[in-house]
Amino acid sequence: MSDEYNQQNTPLEAQSSENMSGSSGETTKDIDYVRPAEVPDQDLYHGHSFLTKWVFCQDAKVIGIQYFLTAVFTGIVGLILSWLMRLQLGYPDLVPFITAEHYYQFVTMHGMIMVVYFLTALFLGGFGNYLIPLMVGARDMVFPYVNMVSFWMFFIAVCVLMASFFVPGGPTGAGWTLYPPQAILSGTPGANMGITLMLISLSLFVIGFTMGGLNYIITILQARTRGMTLMRMPLTIWGIFTATALAMLAFPALLVSCIMMTLDKMLGTSFFMPAILQAGEVLSYGGGSPVLFQHLFWFFGHPEVYIVALPAFGIVSDLISVHARKNIFGYRMMVWAIVGIGALSFFVWAHHMYVSGMNPWFGFFFATTTLIIAVPTALKVYNWIITLFRANIRMNVVMLFCLGFIVTFVNGGITGIFLGNVAVDIPLSDTYFVIAHFHMVMGIAPLMVIMGAVYHWFPLVTGRMLSEKLGKWHFWFTFLGAYSIYFPMHYLGFIGVPRRYFEMYDSPYVTSATGMNEFITVAALIVGAAQLIFIYNIVTSIKIGKPAGKNPWKANSLEWLTPDVPPTHGNFGEKLPAVHRWPYDFNVPGAKEDYITQTTPPSEVINAEVEKT
Amino acid sequence: MSDPKIEGYTFKPGFRGMAEDTGSDQTMFKGVQWGKVMMWIFLLSDTFIFSCFLISYMKGRASTVVDWPNTSEVFSLHVGGVPVPLLLIAIMTFVLITSSGTMALAVKYGYEKNRKMCGWLILATAIGGLTFVGMQAFEWSKLIHEGVRPWENPFGAKQFGSFFFMITGFHGTHVSIGVIFLFIFARKVFKGDFDNGKRGFFTTMKSDYVAIEILGLYWHFVDLVWVFIFAFFYLW
Amino acid sequence: MDNIENKEQSTTHKIGIYLWIWGLLFVLSFFSYMVDWFAFQGLLRWSLILTFMFLKAGLIMAFFMHLFWERYALVNVLLWPMTAIACFIILMVAEAQYTVFTRLLYFFTGG
Repeated sequence: MSDEYNQQNTPLEAQSSENMSGSSGETTKDIDYVRPAEVPDQDLYHGHSFLTKWVFCQDAKVIGIQYFLTAVFTGIVGLILSWLMRLQLGYPDLVPFITAEHYYQFVTMHGMIMVVYFLTALFLGGFGNYLIPLMVGARDMVFPYVNMVSFWMFFIAVCVLMASFFVPGGPTGAGWTLYPPQAILSGTPGANMGITLMLISLSLFVIGFTMGGLNYIITILQARTRGMTLMRMPLTIWGIFTATALAMLAFPALLVSCIMMTLDKMLGTSFFMPAILQAGEVLSYGGGSPVLFQHLFWFFGHPEVYIVALPAFGIVSDLISVHARKNIFGYRMMVWAIVGIGALSFFVWAHHMYVSGMNPWFGFFFATTTLIIAVPTALKVYNWIITLFRANIRMNVVMLFCLGFIVTFVNGGITGIFLGNVAVDIPLSDTYFVIAHFHMVMGIAPLMVIMGAVYHWFPLVTGRMLSEKLGKWHFWFTFLGAYSIYFPMHYLGFIGVPRRYFEMYDSPYVTSATGMNEFITVAALIVGAAQLIFIYNIVTSIKIGKPAGKNPWKANSLEWLTPDVPPTHGNFGEKLPAVHRWPYDFNVPGAKEDYITQTTPPSEVINAEVEKT
Repeated sequence: MSDPKIEGYTFKPGFRGMAEDTGSDQTMFKGVQWGKVMMWIFLLSDTFIFSCFLISYMKGRASTVVDWPNTSEVFSLHVGGVPVPLLLIAIMTFVLITSSGTMALAVKYGYEKNRKMCGWLILATAIGGLTFVGMQAFEWSKLIHEGVRPWENPFGAKQFGSFFFMITGFHGTHVSIGVIFLFIFARKVFKGDFDNGKRGFFTTMKSDYVAIEILGLYWHFVDLVWVFIFAFFYLW
Repeated sequence: MDNIENKEQSTTHKIGIYLWIWGLLFVLSFFSYMVDWFAFQGLLRWSLILTFMFLKAGLIMAFFMHLFWERYALVNVLLWPMTAIACFIILMVAEAQYTVFTRLLYFFTGG
């Protein structure tokens, strides 16, 4: 096998895409040549007890599933909180348990759980841990021990967060943005233990994800297999990689703001607290700056939403190309778009602060950068659509979710343009228009990708296929239901219905918005119930699903080419794979099949018009 | 140290080299071990943490309407009745830079497999770090004695005490953690664990002299942060 | 820890270079201290403080932390993210000026 190339018969340079154009002058003797390995094979730790094999397991695949299950658990808690909120908004006073204090606590916990503990943990910890070593051709992450510790830090962070439900005063009701001074004053629910536990939980989360993030970045940069250049990696990896880089650089700002707010609460420092009255009593704070917290928080907060979005962009590109049997259009530009969005995301944060009372000149700067960041994002949307154009589309559940993603993301993205402009944002800020925007673009669209990804990779993880019939019911309920929930919210925002309001009071909104609020609530409850179809599908298919065999989707990337399905410890068996091409060789003219895997050597597809990658 | 030898790869300098490295397969940072890249990226993240602290300090100090305390006076030591401004800080800077130098030499001797020199230099670094933390603790106790608290102080703006204790506290914690690891590594060097490739207690991975360079990177980072704190907090 | 044979064994630097940089760091620290001793004020003070600070930081990073000899790729990956910090600094300077302006305006002149 030409993969066993150990000696150097030919004076060749590294077989990257830059060098393929024959700079050596002589005709290459071996077109299957791949550079030998730079480092010896990884030294893996093998657990032998139940604890070291399943609980404190250092195998990234097990850790990925642990992250996935924990994140889904928190997501279900967040989902239940959203039902409680909708019950109050659609049918006020129907459930006397939901007081104003409780409502704000639900709002806060729903937001924090969904953004941080569900989506970030799921994409980076769940998908990242499982897919990165497999897709880059490594046996495991580079630091398996640290990886294991990172999961348990996340687990403890979730426990601390859930504990805040049970302390006196309950969880904090400050909104997921935790703005001071209100967050630590007595008028806000949970201003005693609730906020403290939230801040501690976030700090633990940051520490855990720094450890995990180091693993993901270094595995991708330094532990790829032979022949795997950066430009041959699947876009899933590019998305998760860039998101991780953002996480490493943005979480520090969150940690700093949490620490300073904790000190304000516990030691009475005045980092963010101005001279202030609390229920008529002058407090001993003075001289602090609430807007400083907002700057720190959003310096983290904006990259955070891209940490959620970029893995979704990457994953959906791979799902589309596999199920449309066509290479992703403009792969190189897709990579640059992901990297560009990631870099630019550090320069747009104050578009969340147009009405905060910050320096008025900032609006010019941030509106400009915000509109600039829309360009690479739109480029990606065009490329997904062009990929689908005249492709051999398999209209299965995965493809349906991809199409659902494109539709909802375009919807959410366009409303983002509205909000990115300062003047238009002023009447829309803090209304349901904003809620509609971020749920579409960060809630529904990435969620569609998550569900599609589960249908796509379930055969790899369990060796069985999920039921297509149940999947289609699940998709249509979710997609149409989610649209029913969030599309009307745009109108509510336009007519000025404020967000984070417990009730509509005696206002003109009462008559015009009541019907719509009821409709949204009913839709939300139906969509929530529909997820039971998904759970049922997963639980039963593990036992009675159709056996998948190897590579049931006929995909090209390395995770489908393991000797065992599901992949075992060490992923690739005796020898690591050698990569000869990108993962998007679908329907290549002249090839025997409609796909060419990454490990297929060029000598086997000599007559195909393969792209130089 | 020159570029390491890698089979099948020719190194190019400068921008061209960076493009080739980035475009090649397997690794982007040629010849750099995983542990070293890990430490560098962790330090990048830690840099952002300290930058956010210092930016908050700058914003807090620049927006007070109450005067900020005069740091030369607050941080002066009285030697024989004569106030010497920033004396303790100058000594602390001297100690930390010295320890940085001994660490750099320890890394060099580590790679040369000179266990005795390496071990003693690591210990010297650890002693330097301990001295630094001791002096920082002394400074804290002196200021607390004079009435400086996180929530107020008699010298000027309230935020002075809060930023001081928070920033120097975080820096001192980083130094202390470094000192602990320095002692652990000094013991490993003297025992010969890096020569034998003995497996670590927690991670069960084999030890190698690159670990000393990695610890050295952390220690130099701690010194680097001190350079910025010294300039922005004490001098400015 | 991943194992590469000790390629660096025969290629460590001579002790001299470390002693030179060490000495330079002491000299620069001494100059920084002199800025305070001579009680320079205003623009001169700030520019001297910043210059000496960046020189010291640069020497530590380039020689003690070895960046001068590392591959250019690593140096770039580490230094470009500082532009985000620089943007944050510049904007927070403007924000601080605006904050103190509004405080003076509303608390002292009655707005």
